[in-house]
Amino acid sequence: MRMKTTRKFLFLILLAAASLAPRSFAQAPPAAAAAPPPAAAPAPKPVPITDADLAGAPVPSADARAKGDPDGSLTGTASDITVSDAKKGVTIGDLANQVGQNKIAINFVWTLVTGFLVMFMQAGFAIVETGLCRAKNANHTMMMNFAVYGVGMLAYWLIGFAIQMGGVGATANLGGTPPLSAEFAITLFGKPFGLFGQNGLFLMHKGTYDVSVMVLFLFQMVFMDTALTIVTGSAAERWKYAAFVVSSFLMGAFTYPIFANWAWGGGWLANLGANFNLGKGYCDFAGSGVVHAVGGITALAVSMIIGPRIGKYDRTGKPNAILGHDIVLVLLGCFILAFGWFGFNPGSTLGASGNGALRIGSVAVNTMLAGMAGGFGAMLYMWTRYGKPDASMSGNGLLAGLVAITAPSGFVNPVGSVIIGLIAGVLVCLSVEFVDRVLKVDDPVGAISVHGTNGLWGVISIGLFADGKSNYGGSWNGVTGSVTGIFYGDNGGQLVAQLIGVVTLVGFVFTLSFIFNLLVDWFVGQRVSAKAELEGLDLPEMGALGYPEFELKS
Amino acid sequence: MIFIGLLVIMLGFVISVLSLALHSVGAQLAVVLFGLAVSLYGIMGVLNRAYLKNAIWKKG
Repeated sequence: MRMKTTRKFLFLILLAAASLAPRSFAQAPPAAAAAPPPAAAPAPKPVPITDADLAGAPVPSADARAKGDPDGSLTGTASDITVSDAKKGVTIGDLANQVGQNKIAINFVWTLVTGFLVMFMQAGFAIVETGLCRAKNANHTMMMNFAVYGVGMLAYWLIGFAIQMGGVGATANLGGTPPLSAEFAITLFGKPFGLFGQNGLFLMHKGTYDVSVMVLFLFQMVFMDTALTIVTGSAAERWKYAAFVVSSFLMGAFTYPIFANWAWGGGWLANLGANFNLGKGYCDFAGSGVVHAVGGITALAVSMIIGPRIGKYDRTGKPNAILGHDIVLVLLGCFILAFGWFGFNPGSTLGASGNGALRIGSVAVNTMLAGMAGGFGAMLYMWTRYGKPDASMSGNGLLAGLVAITAPSGFVNPVGSVIIGLIAGVLVCLSVEFVDRVLKVDDPVGAISVHGTNGLWGVISIGLFADGKSNYGGSWNGVTGSVTGIFYGDNGGQLVAQLIGVVTLVGFVFTLSFIFNLLVDWFVGQRVSAKAELEGLDLPEMGALGYPEFELKS
Repeated sequence: MIFIGLLVIMLGFVISVLSLALHSVGAQLAVVLFGLAVSLYGIMGVLNRAYLKNAIWKKG
């Protein structure tokens, strides 16, 4: 009986709910069903705000604030605006200054925090490289990755930053950076060819002790260090530590900053559009060319000079696989790098407020898509070709996708990103095989292929896939319009500009890196002794084992 | 051979820069690609070959 009553009661509730439901939906009809808005209602005329209006702005009383503000409604009001004259109170001028400062503050915080993320990539590189090397070289490989941060930073602070950004001129999102205004240029074909910047030595020279310059320095410095740490991977397990220090210093002081000036510092590559009508000039949003290809190409030069590890090739020149000691470190490092890349690419807007800065969402998604497409492409390639989804190559595929999307991330759409990433994933596998078997250049971590080959692919891909939808203040590199590739209607000028950048990397940067490292070889010696190499570099070079409590097989 | 290799690599770069004197995008593209091929030949065909002649695995 009681059961029957309960069921009846439930039934009545359901009936009531069903009868009420349509009514409640009817209270919020879809927008299309709403009464049409009044036809072309005249827009209200803008009313000029006066200082008097601002004087009357409601502010919380001191008593109210003294009681605390648990819901946050009393914090951040007109009373927090900095006033120039306390007697006048808030004026229009104060308000405008506060708005301007807020924009720059947002951009400072954005650029600094993304720079911190890029700095953390050093940890990712360190454990990827160490995991791919043998345990007997763990201390040496980790220490190179650790030390390159300081060595590169000092070189860049002393002279590298001045060469790269000393003539960049206005960086609007960061408040102008006006002290960076002296670019040395020559005239070629009747046009100025910017070669290097001149202001900013020690961050004190010619007014560069400046808040905007400091933010720009931090962001650019961590990029430079990324390029330097690429080389430590390809030369690992046989590079003399002293040679590594000198080579890294030269790269941070000269090789990297010179190309970075040409691409980002107002140099001749950036101005190929303005001076020679080649699209928007050489474009490289976050550094596939400037950072990764420079690192990868220098890695090739150093690896050629230094030669392969003992045992890598047999007497006929056939390559032997030398396995790394910790795949867990490798894949964990890849994840750290993928995380840091969200600083690398979106941070390259140098702001989250201002012209086109809201593209950060698109840049971040493009980065994510291309990275995973690269990992997927490499995994499928290895699985199809060798029967197993190789873990280290899948990790390298992820990095290859990220490297390739770095330059185009600000100019392409999601479909373009996935295509670029997939191609990168397959390309890195083919390139590793080519470097290993045809060139017979020993690269323990695949840095030449991940960063060099795919850095160049990323640069080229802009000339193909840039969709013409990005708009960073209506122009790029001083040329009106959006960056557009040939698949979206460009006449090929953008592709030519990109290819000139590629030849500059392959021709000029390689030669400069090679000469520097040849000099290091002559004066310091690049390679450790055969005895030290066979024993493992931890004791002979560093004086301590990476894993002292483990018995290691050489 | 190392010196010749470096000269060839730089020659490719110079060729691509000289393409800027041309006015047709198609011609510029062809010249830049030629410059790229020259630089790549310098690295792989000349410089690397010089190093492989004395490769470490041939010594032992």
